[in-house]
Amino acid sequence: MSGITKKPLQPVQQERTFPRFSIAQRWEHAVLMLSGLILLLTGLPQKYREFSISQDLLSTPDRVELIRQIHHVAAIILALEAVYHLGRIIYLMAKRRLPGDLLPTWQDVRDAGHMLQYLLFLRSDKPKFGRYNFEQKVTYWFIFFGVFIMGISGFIIWFPVQFTQFLPGDVVPAAKLAHSTESIVAAIFVLVWHVYHVHLERTNLSMFTGRVSEEEMRTFHEKEYERLTGQAGPQAKPGAKK
Amino acid sequence: MRLRAYLILAGAAVLLVSFGLAFSDASAGSSPESEAVVSSPPIQIDNESCFFCHSNEGLTVQLDGGETLRLTIDPLAYEKSTHGSNGVTCVTCHTDIEKFPHPERTTETLREVKLKYYTSCQQCHEEQFNLTLDSVHQRELAAGNNNAAVCADCHNPHTQQRLTNDSGELLDYARLHVPETCSQCHSAIYDEYKQSVHGSALTQDGNLDVPTCIDCHGVHNIQSPNTATFRNSTPFLCAECHTNNALMQQYGLSTQVLNTYVADFHGTTVVLFDKSFPDQPTNKPVCTDCHGVHDIVRADDPKKGLSTRENLLARCQTCHPDATANFPDAWMSHYIPSTEKYPIVYYVNLFYKFFIPAVLGPMIILVLMDFGRMMINRFKKPKPVVAEEPEAEPVTENVVAAETAEDMEPVAEPEGKAEPEQAQETSPAEPEELNQPEEQSEAKEDAKSSDEEEDASHDK
Repeated sequence: MSGITKKPLQPVQQERTFPRFSIAQRWEHAVLMLSGLILLLTGLPQKYREFSISQDLLSTPDRVELIRQIHHVAAIILALEAVYHLGRIIYLMAKRRLPGDLLPTWQDVRDAGHMLQYLLFLRSDKPKFGRYNFEQKVTYWFIFFGVFIMGISGFIIWFPVQFTQFLPGDVVPAAKLAHSTESIVAAIFVLVWHVYHVHLERTNLSMFTGRVSEEEMRTFHEKEYERLTGQAGPQAKPGAKK
Repeated sequence: MRLRAYLILAGAAVLLVSFGLAFSDASAGSSPESEAVVSSPPIQIDNESCFFCHSNEGLTVQLDGGETLRLTIDPLAYEKSTHGSNGVTCVTCHTDIEKFPHPERTTETLREVKLKYYTSCQQCHEEQFNLTLDSVHQRELAAGNNNAAVCADCHNPHTQQRLTNDSGELLDYARLHVPETCSQCHSAIYDEYKQSVHGSALTQDGNLDVPTCIDCHGVHNIQSPNTATFRNSTPFLCAECHTNNALMQQYGLSTQVLNTYVADFHGTTVVLFDKSFPDQPTNKPVCTDCHGVHDIVRADDPKKGLSTRENLLARCQTCHPDATANFPDAWMSHYIPSTEKYPIVYYVNLFYKFFIPAVLGPMIILVLMDFGRMMINRFKKPKPVVAEEPEAEPVTENVVAAETAEDMEPVAEPEGKAEPEQAQETSPAEPEELNQPEEQSEAKEDAKSSDEEEDASHDK
């Protein structure tokens, strides 16, 4: 491979790639995705019991028990992942090395307004995004709080006797309702919002490859591109601005 | 000499046989086999003949088992009974009695006497008789328990009054006396029932709205209540009355008891099995596990009522032994959450009612708009280039686009208007065109990128 790069005879445009997600972050995503999928698949038949497919799955006490065991194991894996994620945030914060890229800012609100204008044909240029655009930030924080709600409510309905030793009893049915409803909210969110943005809008596999191409960087994260390279992105061209 | 002696012997034998035949003719009916043959046409013996003896007080017979069989029948009572008034004769049921003297008795105990005759009922009451064949009583009988109830244990054939009206509905007085009938054997349960909210209403107030034994257990095809099937069906059994609005309204009772039960942890599982494999035993409680079976009391009963916290907690602890004082609130006691009852649940529900449309709605709209704009960009761009080509292609593409995105009106509509925009749009969109070949080679070039670059750009 290195032999090829040492022959710059043809005018090949050297495509650089930028690292985006570390291997640890990619593993976190994989664990979140797989455990979340298992939780959804084992949770849905428990929620929608009137469907015949649920009844086939849960027709005997043994099967109900098995589905619940799988759900609980996946829940523990996801909980461990959440604890790791939070622990890492705290560790990085303590070391003052936590990147603030994901924190919501007023710029995100302005970007969202800009994007809305673009979608309504009021502007012809898309907003210039930094390392994470507002859509990606919404994704992160929606899932962040979703996992938080699902985790807390899930453990309450898993261990109602233990939790009611220091919490009022009402929290158990409240947690059941929240767990049941939030799961659907999260599922619809991931299916519509996240899957659209990483598969339909463009195939963005950086969460698996860990890198983004220079072109994608320039097109979709122009500010970050400018910050990293000192070069202007495509939208900086005078013709593009209105 | 010898031959003559043989002839005499043979003649004597013929005489004996013919005598014997004549004698046996005269005593026909003494053996059951011959009776069966003879009684093939129905015997017509009027009741007067029977009552000639059987109306006499104190007519008894000592059975071989030592018990005394009373043989006196009150003719007036019989005439008033549904059988008597409908012209049923004694021999309709007592099919083995044809004349006097009666055939020799084969039964040794009173129980055997009853068991001997109960099959007679099927002559007229075939439907009910067949139902009893599926009952737990009949199963017990077949297993050798002679004490299991047969028809005549519940319905005394000599005094039985009519129980149903012409349309087959149980008459009020019949309903009132059902528990007493069952109490002949199930006396301990009757004592419990009499104390319960249902039983006391029936036995003390004569309230016919409450269930009697047969409303839950059935009449003739009574099933064992100890099976998983019966247990799993309990919620629906109770719900027959407890979801009846007209009935419950009279007593100020909620009709939400079933759906609130089904919506909660316990009920949802029980109902699941009831639908698929109803014979699956489950450890989830059904109505009777908390409210009791024959000893059901009002929820606000001072002693045992479940609206008293301690009583409910005690019930919870039968399955959740470590439950503490807060735990019973985890069960919403058949209430629908409101601002007064279980407000936390109410507000969580309220939150999601607003949160879902307020957040997911705009998200979906944004995604659709984004998709629409992307499609417009994609199909507009090549237009000036592909202008010479046959129009069929872009037309079909537009159709596809319109099908996929809902808010695609702007796609087809502003074709003319969008002309000036188009020029501007081509420039930002240009890189997208370039992208495609580059993206394909991305994988290769990915590997080429030098490590120094990585480090330079990865300064988080």
